[in-house]
Amino acid sequence: MKVLTIAEKELREYLLKPGSISWGVVFPLVFTLAFAVRFGDVDHLAPGLLTISVLFGTTSFVSSSVIFERRLRTFERLLVAPVSYLEIVLAKVLTGSIFGLFVGLVSLLFLRFFMVYPIWSIPFLAVYLVLSAVAFSALGLYVSLVVENPINAMTWLNLIRLPMMFTSGAIVSLLLFPRWFIAVGLLTPMTYAVDGLRFAMLHYYDVVNPLYALLVLVLLAMVFVYLSVTRIERLY
Amino acid sequence: MAEAVVANNLVKRYGDFEAVKGISFRVKRGEAFALLGPNGAGKTTTVRMLTTLTSITSGEAYVNGFNVRTERLAVRRSIGLVPDVSNLYDELTVRENLLFMAKLYDAPRERVDELIREFELPADKKFGKLSTGFKRRATIAAALVHEPEVLFLDEPTNGLDVHSARAVRSLIRALNRRGMTVFITTHNMVEAETIPQRIAIMKAGRIVAEGKRSELAKLVGRKTVVRLSVEPMSSSLLRALERYNPSFEEGKLVFEVDNLDGFLEELCSLKVELGFRVTSLCTEIPGIEDVFVELTKCPCRGCPL
Repeated sequence: MKVLTIAEKELREYLLKPGSISWGVVFPLVFTLAFAVRFGDVDHLAPGLLTISVLFGTTSFVSSSVIFERRLRTFERLLVAPVSYLEIVLAKVLTGSIFGLFVGLVSLLFLRFFMVYPIWSIPFLAVYLVLSAVAFSALGLYVSLVVENPINAMTWLNLIRLPMMFTSGAIVSLLLFPRWFIAVGLLTPMTYAVDGLRFAMLHYYDVVNPLYALLVLVLLAMVFVYLSVTRIERLY
Repeated sequence: MAEAVVANNLVKRYGDFEAVKGISFRVKRGEAFALLGPNGAGKTTTVRMLTTLTSITSGEAYVNGFNVRTERLAVRRSIGLVPDVSNLYDELTVRENLLFMAKLYDAPRERVDELIREFELPADKKFGKLSTGFKRRATIAAALVHEPEVLFLDEPTNGLDVHSARAVRSLIRALNRRGMTVFITTHNMVEAETIPQRIAIMKAGRIVAEGKRSELAKLVGRKTVVRLSVEPMSSSLLRALERYNPSFEEGKLVFEVDNLDGFLEELCSLKVELGFRVTSLCTEIPGIEDVFVELTKCPCRGCPL
């Protein structure tokens, strides 16, 4: 219950913060629209663009909340309350995921205008979208907690997010690259989200088996939640 | 346990730097206790350890009988913390902030309305739009939502104007009168003079003195200064008060006395006996500022600190 209480507060407090809006909404939606308008038929690009939207939506919201909370010391308010660090982490991951999913859904609506084929499986799409949002949200939280100066969190996140857009096969299929690049792609968390969504939307995948993608996304979410909890323990 | 806060040989180390160097003290239930010290003395670090905000390197601490190391959630449930900055959520109104805190601590909603009335807070104004004084009041109110047994206040009047600072101080005194244990850290002498019953003075991570204000004054050997003018001045009066070693300043007799009550009693009986009239009498009781300066001054020769 405390998770929901904190999550509700997070949404009210950080929904309209500049970091959430610029990197979390404007960038992914403009990016999606630019590709859709330029290429018209975006079926093969749609899973990648959708993943980019979810990645930027979740991580921007989470890091925005952590930046403000660490700077204004409102984070300490949660730390002295009778709630566990896990509850705090889960609340932040939950709100980041909700925000990211919302951005993802708006992005999907745009994409549907330009897609020729119908979505292959809505339930699979929902599963991969939710798992991607949770995993990215946890990743964003961990990075924001690791950065010593919270003001630099967005810069560090971009250092991770922007290269991932290319190494994950979100824009250009990994199959078109040499084997060493595919290996780099397999080390990129976003690859599993892109291929999972590709399977759900188009019923094929590039390099990662959908079941494997699902398991890795669950594992990533759990690992980054665990790392975030231990990071808070170390920070305070 | 009769004590609300117990610290035994508390140490906090950040890498090679030892911020708190093995301090021990006890705070009774219902007492107002102050940690007084210059910036960097380790006051805030001590509060952060006692409120579970930072880990204890070594030593033991108990708050309301709960071990700060092993019973963190129980400690958190029983305390309220007002940090040195007013840290509620800017985008939420005062009521929303307090309701959020009430939900976190499982406190009844009615308590929020009670606090809004008691602290005269603008309930529907966003916290970010409040004046510094109201932000402070709201932050104190937020720490009281769950009616904690011990209230920790770190530099509670930091950055407040005179009127707001006075209001906050009288609020803290009122809470203490109602039986709440109050633990404040401060370097503000007015606060140290008016709020706590007992004071511990910290310097460079250690407690250098602890006790009531009068006990601390004795500790540094400060005497009460009495300035007296009488009419007519007689040699018999001077002889009678000779053992107080009087001096003359601007036509007044100046004494430094250990026991003010005893001195005044003697003066009254001399007045009856010698028949003089007291035209003015001033006393300068050593304040906590004198004690603080004496105990925390830098030992270097010629150092201005």
